[in-house]
Amino acid sequence: MKILLRLVLAAALVALGLWLWSALFPSPEKIIRKRLAELARDVSFSAGEGNLARLAGAEQVAGFFSTNVEVRLDVPGRVRHRFVGREQITQAALASRSETSELIVKFPDVNVSVAPDKQSATVDLTVEADVSGRRNAIVQEMKFTFQKIQGRWLITRVETVRTLSQDISRPAPRLEAGNLAIRAVATGLSVCIFAATPVVSNG
Amino acid sequence: MAAPDPTASPPRLARWLRVAVIGRNPKVTLGRALVLAAVCIVVFKFILLPARVEGISMLPTYQDHTMAFVNRLAYLWHPPRRGDVVGIRLAGMHVMYLKRIVGLPEETVAFRNGHVFINGKLLDEPYEKLPCDWTLPPVKDGPDQFFVVGDNRSMPPGEHVFGRVERDRIVGKAVL
Repeated sequence: MKILLRLVLAAALVALGLWLWSALFPSPEKIIRKRLAELARDVSFSAGEGNLARLAGAEQVAGFFSTNVEVRLDVPGRVRHRFVGREQITQAALASRSETSELIVKFPDVNVSVAPDKQSATVDLTVEADVSGRRNAIVQEMKFTFQKIQGRWLITRVETVRTLSQDISRPAPRLEAGNLAIRAVATGLSVCIFAATPVVSNG
Repeated sequence: MAAPDPTASPPRLARWLRVAVIGRNPKVTLGRALVLAAVCIVVFKFILLPARVEGISMLPTYQDHTMAFVNRLAYLWHPPRRGDVVGIRLAGMHVMYLKRIVGLPEETVAFRNGHVFINGKLLDEPYEKLPCDWTLPPVKDGPDQFFVVGDNRSMPPGEHVFGRVERDRIVGKAVL
């Protein structure tokens, strides 16, 4: 009995040690995932935000990017923009806050590939944006490039990924979209699945 | 006053409730519940992905805010077929596109006056119920590409997500 107790205690100590190690020295992937979660939170905003809060929010968003960041948004038929530098990111964040009353951004799928030197990483993710006034969320696959600059993981490049390649001619770009997305509910018991509530979990 | 006898059988209603909730044998009930949970998790996580349909681009086949299932085993033995409604993954499988395959690998797909032409031949589309006036130049699929489009082509092409997709992005066939 004593041996068993000792073994259990030793296992608990090892588990605690591992948890502490991962909490104190997180892997680059963990840090990047955390940064992305923070970015999604900071890009999102709700109605009734004051001017100061707007500016602070936009500045906070820009803080996730490197000074020479390049953002290329190219969704045929919908949007085509190119931003270079933090200043333009701030302006774009401010513009989005003044044009839309509410925006909720989520990254339901995030795939992180860290380079062998652990100084850069590419992230393939799905952006899901709930914009006020729209019945359905906008979804878009994107690729982010991160670099470790002065100890911080900053976004140096953002580009849209064409899930469906469309090189046929399309009408002039518009912001409105009517795409159809389905959200797969990852896990759940049958009771949860057939319940009227929306997506149970994106995790 | 005599104290209640602890060995006496519980009232009939309480016994009935107990049987209804946890069964005659709680151990057996627990085992069944665990098996059911395991089966549900395996089926709905790895085989039949439950999905909530959002958007109108698959009207009238799939209505907005309804449920669908994506069968991940559908293409184990044969490749996706023309006319199949498939789930297409983006960065992962928590958000997918739901589209219909109209063009197979190496085929040329074109839209003329709302009709789909495959290698110059008109495609019969019985599922296409809404009016369409799209005219788009031909596109050739690559060796591992499928051309997918929604059923609701009454909306302008600029508002509709469609095009060629790589085979490895097709998660499975939509059922129900």
